This record gives sequence, C-alpha cells and structure tokens, in this order.
Amino acid sequence: MNYQVIHITDYIYEFPAALCHNLMFQIPQDSEFQKVDKYVCEISPKPSSEEERTDFFGNKYLYFSVERSHKKLTVTSQSVLKLNSPAWMKVDPKSTMAWEKVVEWLHTTKAPNEVRQYYLESDHVKFIEGIKEYTLKSFTPSRPIMEAMIDLNDRIFKDFAFTPGFTDISTPLEKVFEHKKGVCQDFAHFSLACLRVIGLSARYVSGYIETIPPPGKPKLIGSDASHAWIAVFMPEQGWVEFDATNNLLVNDKHIRVAVGRDFADVTPLKGIVYSGSKQEMKVSVDVTNLDQDYLLN
Amino acid sequence: MIESYLIEKMFNNAPFLDEMATDQGKIHSHWERIARYYEQIGSEKMRQFQEEVSRQLRENGVTYNVYGDPDGMNRPWILDPVPMVFNSEEWERIEKGLIQRTQLLNLILKDLYGDQKLIKEGLLPFELIYNHKGFLRQAHDIQLEGEQQLIQYSSDLARGPNGMMWVLHDRTDAPSGAGYTFENRAAMTRVFPELIRENHVRKITSYYQTFKNTLSSLTNNKENPRVVLLSPGPTNETFFEHAYISSFMGFTLAFGEDLTVSGGYVWLKTIKGLEKVDVIIRRVDDVFCDPLEFKNDSHLGVVGLMEAVRQKKVLVINPLGCRVLENPGLMAFLPKISKVFLGEDLILPSVATWWCGQEKELKYVFDHIETLVIRNIYRGTNHKSVFGGDLTEEQLQNLKKQIQRNPYMFVGQEMVDFSTSPSWINNKLEARNAVFRSYVVADSENNTYNVMPGGLSRSSPEKGAFLVSNQTGGISKDTWVLGKPKDVISKIPKIVKSQPLVRTVLPSRTGERLFWLGRYLERSAYAVRLMRMTLLSYNEADEDIHIHETPVLSTLLKTLTLMTGTLPGFTEKAILKNPESELLDLVHDVEKPGSLAFSIQSFLTNAFAVRDRLSLDTWRILDSISEELIKMRQSENSLLKAYHNLDNMVVKLMAFYGLNIDNMTRETTWHLLNIGRFIESAVNNCTILRGMLSKSFDTESNKELMEDTLRCNESLVTYRYRYRSNLEMQGVLSLLILHEDNPRSLIFQLLEIDSHLKALPNKDEHEQFGIERKKLLEAITKIRLCDVTEISTLDLESNEYSQLIILLDKTIELLHETSDLIYQKYFSHTGSAYSMIQTSIIPEI
Repeated sequence: MNYQVIHITDYIYEFPAALCHNLMFQIPQDSEFQKVDKYVCEISPKPSSEEERTDFFGNKYLYFSVERSHKKLTVTSQSVLKLNSPAWMKVDPKSTMAWEKVVEWLHTTKAPNEVRQYYLESDHVKFIEGIKEYTLKSFTPSRPIMEAMIDLNDRIFKDFAFTPGFTDISTPLEKVFEHKKGVCQDFAHFSLACLRVIGLSARYVSGYIETIPPPGKPKLIGSDASHAWIAVFMPEQGWVEFDATNNLLVNDKHIRVAVGRDFADVTPLKGIVYSGSKQEMKVSVDVTNLDQDYLLN
Repeated sequence: MIESYLIEKMFNNAPFLDEMATDQGKIHSHWERIARYYEQIGSEKMRQFQEEVSRQLRENGVTYNVYGDPDGMNRPWILDPVPMVFNSEEWERIEKGLIQRTQLLNLILKDLYGDQKLIKEGLLPFELIYNHKGFLRQAHDIQLEGEQQLIQYSSDLARGPNGMMWVLHDRTDAPSGAGYTFENRAAMTRVFPELIRENHVRKITSYYQTFKNTLSSLTNNKENPRVVLLSPGPTNETFFEHAYISSFMGFTLAFGEDLTVSGGYVWLKTIKGLEKVDVIIRRVDDVFCDPLEFKNDSHLGVVGLMEAVRQKKVLVINPLGCRVLENPGLMAFLPKISKVFLGEDLILPSVATWWCGQEKELKYVFDHIETLVIRNIYRGTNHKSVFGGDLTEEQLQNLKKQIQRNPYMFVGQEMVDFSTSPSWINNKLEARNAVFRSYVVADSENNTYNVMPGGLSRSSPEKGAFLVSNQTGGISKDTWVLGKPKDVISKIPKIVKSQPLVRTVLPSRTGERLFWLGRYLERSAYAVRLMRMTLLSYNEADEDIHIHETPVLSTLLKTLTLMTGTLPGFTEKAILKNPESELLDLVHDVEKPGSLAFSIQSFLTNAFAVRDRLSLDTWRILDSISEELIKMRQSENSLLKAYHNLDNMVVKLMAFYGLNIDNMTRETTWHLLNIGRFIESAVNNCTILRGMLSKSFDTESNKELMEDTLRCNESLVTYRYRYRSNLEMQGVLSLLILHEDNPRSLIFQLLEIDSHLKALPNKDEHEQFGIERKKLLEAITKIRLCDVTEISTLDLESNEYSQLIILLDKTIELLHETSDLIYQKYFSHTGSAYSMIQTSIIPEI
C-alpha cells in the first residue's frame, strides 16, 4: 500500500512569543515493512537553528528554535511511504513460544538492553493494582504468547469504551482502568502495563492510520488523525504490533513514526515558548491511500 | 577536660571507637599535641574561642538554609572548634582509596553512557541502572574530551567498628560543601593559628587550583573562558556557598533565568547585552537543568541546554547524567567491578549493601530488616531512608509490601556504628558520632584525580544519633590532615600561565536586584523617618483629643498612608479616629506591602540575592539590620517601643549606605544601586511635600508641619543655619526642591539619577542621550524653570498651594515613566516567563 501523510500543527499565541525551542518526533523511518519514499518538513517562521538527531530509542527527531517574535508557528510534515504486509500476519499464533519462556529469556543478559528496557515501568505505564490479574486471564500458563496477546487485545477492545474527551495526557492509568474509557493513547498505555507487569517487553508506537472506510463497512476509528498502538517482543518474530483501539493485529494500514516507552518519549511536537500569554494548538492530519486515488482517477 | 573525656569514653562509650581516645583511655598519638593544647588553655578560654569562631562565620555571612522552617532562611552555620583529625599514614590510604573509587566510578559512567558492557556481561544488573532516574537517556553517547567524565566527586566516610573508614554515600551530581569547607578553615585559622601551624595541618587550596586548571583544559575557549556557576537561587539550602565560590573563583553567579540558548550557544543576559558562556558549573540537579528535555515544569534550568551540550558549544560540570552513580545499589557490585576493570581490590570498602532486586539479597533484607537501613536507590525528597529498628510491626509490614512491589528500587544497608569524635558541646568535650565528606576533582592535565587534604566533617548534635545531615541540625567540623605527605600522590597543581581572566559582567537580573536594593533602602529610610515623626506627635498628644480635628497629626497620618502606598488607611475617618492598630501594622506587619517591616524584608531579600556583589563588612551590617527587624517584629504591641526600634533602624540603614560609599567600586553595580536609591528618594520627597504642605491651616499648625517636613528630610538644621529666621513656605520649598547643593533637595536627587544613568553602558550606539534620560531631563527642566514664589502662593479659593501640587504630581509621573524606561532598557530581558506546549492528547482518537 502507498500512502501520503500530511500532518500540520499550528501554535497560535495570544501575544507574540519572543523565542521558542522545540522537539519534533514526526519523521518516519524505513523499517522491515515500511519504506519511506519522501519526507519533507516545513516550518514557518523559518527556524534560527535546526538539528536532526537520533534519540536513545532509535527515532529520528528534529530540534529547532525560532528566535524572533512570532504570533503563530506552523509545522508541516509531509511523507510518502509504502507499506507491506508484515511477516507476522502469516505466523500461526498457536505455534509461538510459551509466554513464560519469553519472560525468562528477557530477564537474562542474552536479551539485548534495547529490548529489555521495555519491560520496565515508565512515567505513563505504571503497575497499578489489579492489572496483573486482568492480564493473567489471557496469559494462562504455558499459552503461546501470540495467541494470548490476541486474546488480551480482544478483551481490552471489548471491555474499554473509546471515549474522546474523558482523558487527557495527565490522566492516571488507574482512572482509565476504573472507568474503562479513553482514547488510543490510553488503550496503548493500558496494554503496555498489562504486558510489562508480567515481565514482557512491549513498546509504544506512534503513527497514523488509513482513513477511508471500505464501502458498507464501519469507518475505522482514528481517521484523519495521528494514532498510537503497541509492539510486543517475541524472540522468534521480533516486534509484533497490536492495535487494541481497533482490535487488530497491525497489517499494512498503520504508518509508523516513532517508538518509545510511552507517549512522553515520542510526543509529536513539544516546545517551550517564552511568552506569558495563552496558546492554542491546532492539529490536522490527512492520510491518503495513493493506490485508491490512482484507481479513482 | 581531657581526663573526663577519657573516663567517659572508657565507661560509657562502649560500642563506638573514638577518634581521639583508645579503648584503654589513652590518647592516639596524632591527637596528643591537640589534646595538650586544650588542656593548657582550659574550658573558659575554649568557650571564648568557640564564640570567636561563631562570630567569624557570622560576620562572613556564612549561612545555611533549612527547608520548611519559617525561621530557617539563613540559619547561621555552626562550626565545632574541635576538628576531625587524620594522621598522614591513614590519610595516604584514604587518598589512594578515594582516587581509586573516583577512577572506578568514572569508568562505570563512561560504560553506562556508551557500550554498556557492564550490563551485557552481567556485572551490573540491568534493572539497577535502567530504573534509576539518574540514568538520563538524553545523555547517551555524549562524552567529554579525554578519559575523565566525572569531574567532581564527593563521598561521605565514617569509621566503622573495625577501625577502617567506610564509604556511606557517593555524591556525583552536584556535590556541595566545598565552599563551607573553605570558610571553616578560614575561621579556624584565625582563631587557632599556632595550633594549625604546629601540627602541620595541610592546606586545602590546591583543590580549587586544580579545578580551575581542569576547566581551562576542557573548554574550547582556552584563552578567556567565561565560567558561570548555575545556582537554583537564594532559597536553596547551600546558596551561601554558591555566592562564596563564585566570588572566590571569579565565576559569574547565575540563575536559570539569566541564561538563554541561541544558535546552539549559551548566553548570559547582562546589562550590556548577551555574553557567550563557555563553562557552566552546575549546582542545579540534573533533571531541573533543561525543561525542554527533562522536567518541563522546572524554572531553574536553561531551555535548550542539552542541545548546546550535544553541539559541544558549552561545557557543563558535572556533566548531565552523573547522578546515575549516586545509587547505593551500585555499592554491592563495586568490589567485583574493581577486580575486572582495575584488577584491584577496593581500598575503601562501602557500607555493606544488599540490593533487593536479587532473590537471595531480598530474603536477607527481609530477615534482618530490623537491623538495616532501608533506602531507595534514587535519593529524592519523597524517598527518605528509614531504619528498620525504628518501625512498628505495622510499618514494617507496609515497608515490606512496598519493597515487594518494586524490589529493584530498594537496598538494605548495614547500620554502621560510626566512631565518635570529641565535640565542644555545653562547654565541655563530648563524644559525638562524626561523618567526613571528602572532595575529589579531576586533574585533566595529568589524567588523574586530586583529593582535597581535608573536607567537611559533620557530627550529630544528639548523642548516639547516626543520621547526620545539615537539614536536621548537624554541627560542622573542620578536617585536619596532619604532617607532610610522604609520597605525593596528588600532584601539586602548577599555576597555568593564562588564568581565566575575571571579566566583570553584571547579569541583568542582578542589576535589577541592585536597583531594587537601592529603592527599598530609601523606602525603608523614609518610612522610618516619617513614622518617627508621626509616633512622636501621637505619643505626645493628649489622650482625649480628636485626631481628625488635629491638623498636624491627621496630616502626618494621611501622609504616611500616601507615602507607604497603603490607601485608604488614614484617609478613612474611622481609622483616623483610632489610628493605633493601623500604625502598628505599618511598623510590624511583614505581610502588608508598604509597611516598614515589608520594605526592610524586601531590602534584605534583594541584598541576599546579590550577596556575591557586597563586601564582607556590609554583611555585618545586614546581619544587624536583620536582627533589628526580628526585634521590631517581636516587640510587644506598644507604639512607644516601636519608636525606640525605629531610632536604631535608621542608623543601621544609613550605615549600610555609608559603608557602600566607602568600599563599592564605581562600576555598574554602584550606579544601579544609586539610580534606585535616588528615584525612590525623589518620589518620596515629592510625596511628603504633597502630603504635608499642600494645604494651609492655622499659623501654629502650618509652622509645625513645615518643621516636621524639614525634619523628615533631615534639613531642619540646614534651614536654621541658612535662613536664621522663622519658618516660611518659600524658604522651605526652596531648600527642599530647588537648592542644587542640598543633598536632600528634589533637584539634587534628580541630577544624581541623571549622572548615574549617564555612567551606565550605552546599549544604543546611535543615541547619545538615551530615551530614559530625555524623560528625566523633562522633570529636571520643569523644576529648574519653576518660580518659587508661584509655588509658595496659596490659592485662597481652595486654600491649597495649587501650583505646588501641579508641579509635584507632574514630577512624580515623570519619575515613574523614567523608571519604566530604565526597566525596558536594562532589565527587560530578565522577563523569562515561559511555558510548556505540547501535542496534548492525540486529537479525536
């Protein structure tokens, strides 16, 4: 599948800001099932400094500063990419390793630190009361890891109601668990907590998802916006991605941008602005399936 | 004195070793001379020496702030006149041990932010490092030039029951206390010069010389590096030493708001404009240093600092990320790592430590919890260490549950019976448990480490208390290493040819504080004078008078309200009738803006924030002003008492100014202090004239009011001398407004402002005569052009001096405008309000 993504963020200040420093995590990278054909980033007003860097988790990000008075900051990321169906789509879930074996392996020095780091708690992924019990209903003794994971994904999808506006970034996981409500970020953080609490490595994936619903089928939640899901590490398959918000094993409709322990590591755009006034932020995302456009034309 | 100590030691000090005495009640040889000296001088002399030590420290303004204590701001620093003493043989071992430990920690640091072989090979558990908040992922792969990443290192040591010195804590983020060590030594040298000489106590100055050399060799700007010391600010517990080290080393003291990142460089905002910074010595904790990459609500750091570090355009010491080594869990693994990395055993053992992240160790900790200290691997305000033996059964169970949930976050450590050391307490020598903090600094020219031969020792004020900390009221001790080094391990640093030149720069924020220091000084002085007058008049008045019908007293009271900016105050009839409580509030109430107590408190706060710019003698006066303020606030609610306090206060305030005239160099600091001071006096002068003399009453009252006005301006004598006549409006106004040679006249004050403004660095090359001076010129011209007969003519219709009122109101307005313009020009970039903005939640998903 070929996609084009246009992601526009506007900061609008009440009074002009004199200076701002920002970090942007919106640069998609090539990976096994994703090839980036083009990526362009436009920033207005033109930044005074810009540095593209790679972070601890392997993501590309951009640091930039605007050092002159401005009332509005616009960041536009445009990318064109090709997605292939991942190898894990062909894996028989029943044939995967027993999950306890995976846990055991992860806790030895045989597992690389880059993988092990994702079984620890993080700021947004805490081992809250009752979460282990919730997970163990799917992760029954000796169950193949992928089968258990599909079951967990399905349960989260069914138990939790997708409810925009109920949570924000500071909502603790306890509240999400108690009310069983939230948005994709909460679904992802909750899934991560479930897996890490039993010792599995699981990481947060930020990105986008395709927008146009097939005729007669319900529209996928998350159209025209950025999205978040998770990846679980399985020694034989590597990182396998699951989307609890849509109850999916991720196929070729999820565009990956960055990975981290949780949202805080990969916030699409964050900055410090020198101005005492209020700010407003607007975000728009457009994901176009280029193959379909081609067919339509 | 010594005898009784030895007896006490033999019979009552059983479980502890003692630094001075053996278990048999003999004196260790290296203590003999010192003990003999104490015996010779006797208790009375010792008591005097102790007072002398305290006086030295207090007069040098040595303080320590205690959090969460209303009177904790600037608590005096307490120094025991009895030092901690090491002989040269033992010191050699300690020195070797500290160098070895620093080298080892340096290698661990390099590895953790690089290849992480230690984790991969199983020498350090993954959980111990990756769960520690001091492990900064943002610092990965950033390394200083050369082998040494850890530049400053400190550790707390104590003597365990086997007679060996043990390491209790490692301090690697922003170790504190070296400044206090220097002050302690200075005070001790003044009080015990012979004792120090005769015992060949080693000098500690090489520490800072090495530090300076190392900075010079690490920075890109070898010729003339600008070094700032980044402090969290005057409310930080060790702020005194930040100011002290800055003055002593020639660094610029800066707070986060003084610095900005642009083009990848760090800049200091100064009165002259932006100046590039080459080195930051940080005393701000790691995650507070850059809100963009770490704690986004920190206002103590510099936005974009981490990026400047990545671009290698600024050197930060200690580098961000060093805190990962302040992890007590590491202690359990150091012996093994030392074997592997250095091929050596640890010379200095750490206190026995069990990391709960391992099954066997966790079981040990649970089985022995009552005899262990339980600590979080991350030191923070939320993580207090607890001694298992102090807990109830229920608390123990809760603690165990907490550990069970996150075992890798905890260690159990042996409760060491530290040795005792003699302390001078309650006029005798008493045995107190003591801890010694060492200071190590990288000597990058020789690729080794240099240990300060001395350090900061602390003892507990209570007998048998182990957890020694300054926050809980510890007593500090100087640390003496006796005798010449046998074999020089730490090389004596040579003086580098090009020493970092100390350029005088003034951060804008410091400039702003100086300006306000001047303003609050005059505000307080004027308030004192007017209050004195008012209280005198009030205390002398008959009890049954109606104040609102008494022109002089009611005018004085109303003027007081006007000048202190506390409207409605005495302009309200009810308050005017019963003025006592409002008057007392205006004197005592430190919460009431405009009150005398408030102004003096603000004066002191500003002085404290610029303490690195004020001389030591000035501190002596500030100390006594502070004492006077406390007395004033504590004095009972009596206006008579208040009157006497005011007398003392005015003398002390003027002494502060007098001393600064005497010893402040005529630089920007001096000019800003005076600009503030004269703007405030000019405004107050106008306000008093406006309040006191704008109306006419009966002849007797008019005369009294003129007299009081002159007194308020300390010009009554001048008037009498000059006019030798009765008081007349024209003469009074002429003296207080127009006489250019009367330092109390308005025109004199305005001209002073102008001459100091002229001396400030001119930021705008095209403008010879700055916009703020133009505004001031308007005020000066108005005064010079005014006709004294006109302003002293009473408008019979309104019974007011209407021309005078117009002139004074206009002058006040112009002064406020001038002040605003000065602000914009010199202090505007101190405005540093910033906020975090981020893609909040993913929209609509």
